[in-house]
Amino acid sequence: MSDREFGGNDDLSLPKATVQKIVTEILPPSSGLVFGKDARDLLIECCVEFITLISSEANDISEKESKKTIACDHITKALEQLGFGAYVQEIMEVANEHKEQLKGREKKSNKLEQSGLSVDQLLAMQEEAFRDAAQRHG
Amino acid sequence: EIKTKFPVARIKRIMQADEEVGKVAQVTPVAVSKALELFMIALVSGAAEKAREKGSKKVSAQHLKQVVEGDEQWDFLGEIVGRVGEGQDAGAGNGGERKRKGK
Repeated sequence: MSDREFGGNDDLSLPKATVQKIVTEILPPSSGLVFGKDARDLLIECCVEFITLISSEANDISEKESKKTIACDHITKALEQLGFGAYVQEIMEVANEHKEQLKGREKKSNKLEQSGLSVDQLLAMQEEAFRDAAQRHG
Repeated sequence: EIKTKFPVARIKRIMQADEEVGKVAQVTPVAVSKALELFMIALVSGAAEKAREKGSKKVSAQHLKQVVEGDEQWDFLGEIVGRVGEGQDAGAGNGGERKRKGK
């Protein structure tokens, strides 16, 4: 591990506050149980290990497919191979939602291009609309 | 079910800390984040169960360790939890309940 690059950066861990919030959602006060600090810290280490394990496995899978980018499919295959196949369905749902969101954003920026009008024409239309409004309210 | 989300950028960074890992598609850390959420639910719930079995109100690292040792699925966490309990349980009943898994 190179010290130069990460020099003392704790960033290869997960934010304690976030982890604690999630733990509290899983184990609310009504459960009558409290999650100790030692348990939380250990949990964080386990989480990082899990991410690392999945990434490594997914990376191997993507390489076998001669792909340079780790895709969602590689993650789900990795999970199945590692015995976490039960997670796949929910992950696919989340991933699909996210992809839909991404498409939505693209659509917005393309609206301009898809209108088939140049910026000048659009500006002219806007000025006309302003004049109309001014007349109506003037 | 769970409202709090992990920082996606952080997950991506952890993934790429492995030198072997190259590029990662935009949706990939989101998928990993969800997997992590499910992983946490499983571990935390399991540990809570252990705590309840022992009649304890506080879920400790020991309980997490017991979850890990109780299922092959968590074998990859063996080393991490192995460090738990060093010098902590001084003589506290390690009773006959311990199951040693032969390999």
